[in-house]
Amino acid sequence: MNEMQFLTWVRGPGLDIALSLFVLGVLWRLIEIYSLGRKKDLSAPRHKPGASGWHTIARRSVPPEGMFKTSPVSYVGGYVFHIGLAIIIFLFIPHIKLIESLVGVSWPGLPSQVVDLVTVVTLAAMIVLLADRIMKPTKRYLSGFQDWFTWTLTFLPVLTGWLAVQHLLLPYTTMLALHILTAELLLVFIPFTKLFHAFTVFGSRWFNGAVNGHKGVPV
Amino acid sequence: MTMNKNAKLLENLEWQGVSRRTFLKYCATLASLMALPPSAGRAMAEALAQAKRPSVIWLPFQECTGCTESITRSHSPSIEGMIFDMISLDYQETLMAAAGHQAEEALHKAMQDNMGKYVLIIDGSVATGLDGAYSCIAGRTNLEALREAAQGAAAIIALGSCAAYGGIPKAKPNPTGAVAVSDIIKDKPIVNIPGCPPIPVVITGVLAHYLTFGSLPELDKLGRPKAFYGETIHDRCYRRPFYDQGKFAKSFDDEGARKGWCLFELGCKGPVTYNACASVKWNGGASWPVEAGHGCLGCSEPDFWDAGGFYKALSMPADPLKMTAGAALAGAVAGVAITVANRAKKGAAKAAHETTTLADLEK
Amino acid sequence: MTLERIPIRVEADDLPMSGNAPAVLREIGELLHRLAEEGVGGAIDLRSLPFLPGDRVWLEERLGCGEVEISLQAGGLSTFSETRFPGVWWVVHRNPQGAVVSEQVEVTRVPDIIVADPNDVRNGLANLNDLISGLS
Repeated sequence: MNEMQFLTWVRGPGLDIALSLFVLGVLWRLIEIYSLGRKKDLSAPRHKPGASGWHTIARRSVPPEGMFKTSPVSYVGGYVFHIGLAIIIFLFIPHIKLIESLVGVSWPGLPSQVVDLVTVVTLAAMIVLLADRIMKPTKRYLSGFQDWFTWTLTFLPVLTGWLAVQHLLLPYTTMLALHILTAELLLVFIPFTKLFHAFTVFGSRWFNGAVNGHKGVPV
Repeated sequence: MTMNKNAKLLENLEWQGVSRRTFLKYCATLASLMALPPSAGRAMAEALAQAKRPSVIWLPFQECTGCTESITRSHSPSIEGMIFDMISLDYQETLMAAAGHQAEEALHKAMQDNMGKYVLIIDGSVATGLDGAYSCIAGRTNLEALREAAQGAAAIIALGSCAAYGGIPKAKPNPTGAVAVSDIIKDKPIVNIPGCPPIPVVITGVLAHYLTFGSLPELDKLGRPKAFYGETIHDRCYRRPFYDQGKFAKSFDDEGARKGWCLFELGCKGPVTYNACASVKWNGGASWPVEAGHGCLGCSEPDFWDAGGFYKALSMPADPLKMTAGAALAGAVAGVAITVANRAKKGAAKAAHETTTLADLEK
Repeated sequence: MTLERIPIRVEADDLPMSGNAPAVLREIGELLHRLAEEGVGGAIDLRSLPFLPGDRVWLEERLGCGEVEISLQAGGLSTFSETRFPGVWWVVHRNPQGAVVSEQVEVTRVPDIIVADPNDVRNGLANLNDLISGLS
């Protein structure tokens, strides 16, 4: 298989397979999770200001008191790379073009240079976070296979995409094909790993908040 | 035209009224096209002036004669025309006066006289289906003719995407079993000059390199001369700055198209196509596809015909998605099935639940 | 008919620039420095650069016009225009139909192709001698 055939494969059958597994997995997991249900809490709700699902969604987006000082790298790095990823995925014009061709909606993007800068910052933040995870004994202790694996899954598409745009290491065609392939791997694994938090994060926050709010405990 | 076959090139040219300065100008242009330093133009001129005309045999296989058109329709009298004065084109079906048995004789005479020394140009792909019967000349298959002609060749030039990579005959479903020259011949140096058609000056550049340095130019992984195929269309494109600024034409007649913005979204394959169109241009440097407002088709890349459609942006799916709807259904079914199983488990647990009484606790 | 003769109206108010022209100007400076120090210049092929119309205008304006203008009729017109920086030449080669086949900025004292070749001088001398001997 030459480079062009590789690229055509990842743009064609590869994309079809990856998107199918992604959609299959996402629907499966979402239905499974949201249909679990809980027994009705028969106790009278204890109302307390700031204790509700919506509050928890917002509150958990800011570090609790003292935590920022304890692990600034996690917070700053985490914010930078999550926002960076969102910008790269949703505001880079070729990506918008892809989404448009898949679901038919589009929106204005950012100039390539801006996305390029964001990519470099995102990559740097991810590397810093990985280093932090390795260096800090507690974080290292808490890390399992999935943590290393999902980091790699997320990092590779960003890295290969940047290398492709910058024409580094490999010819553009090969690098672009690798970029699409790694992005497809990421898609396939999202529903079946911790990466599914992309879909569940706000739902689970709301749920936790609602349960605790019922008990009158803001979390 | 009666040129002395053994005379040196410049003598031949001077005999035709081509001045030294015209020749130097040609060499300077050629050197700059080949991305050689200006000093190389001088060196090339000196070497070329002393060169003898090599014999060239040109065999057409499964092709459309577009490659020949490209080279013969180049602006005339042209620098390309000049290089053809530098070679002895001993067999070319389209251009030669001889036909039938005479033509076959000329071919075999040229091969015998220049055994081991001639340059073989092939345009068109080689049919291998039905033992090559899909394409025959003078009762012989292209496959046979290629094997025979390749034996005595010093070097082979696979001209055009068909000879270089199989091209359009090889496009799905490839009814004739078309393959590239390099799929058949493994023991000779082969230069691929892909393009549909290739840029005229590229073939003359390769011939000039061969005449000047006595060797083939440096090739990339796909067998193409790096001097011409070293960079992508996109990298050399005058519309590149618009790509970087995020300014794209959305249709062929919108404001962006009129302002000459980037054609990426209209399916331009410039980013993955290695060729010299952006710098050498076409029709004597008049223009080239992107300048004319149409995206690059990627014609100098292998399998360009099956690379997902000419009007789809590179980041878009190459084929329509076939399995996703089914997968969505399967995912929903799996989710519901697990829900049912979970509910059943919960129900069973509830049913098995026994109320604890005070008596139980006091046991 | 050459492309130049087709009247093309540029729609944009100000010509777009890619930002590559200043880099080319710096490279010309580098080559001229070498010519001054070591006597060896160089050339930059303008047609192989991703230039927008504005880049060309920008570069032409910066280089300006010098004292020397040479035209050469050899397989089409070639013009060698010295810029306001002696030693920097704007070179345009055309084919017999007038289409531009190559465009370069050459950094040299005199473009090579202008200098008469010793062989041509000898041939010319022979021809001139023929002419003179024919005068009698």
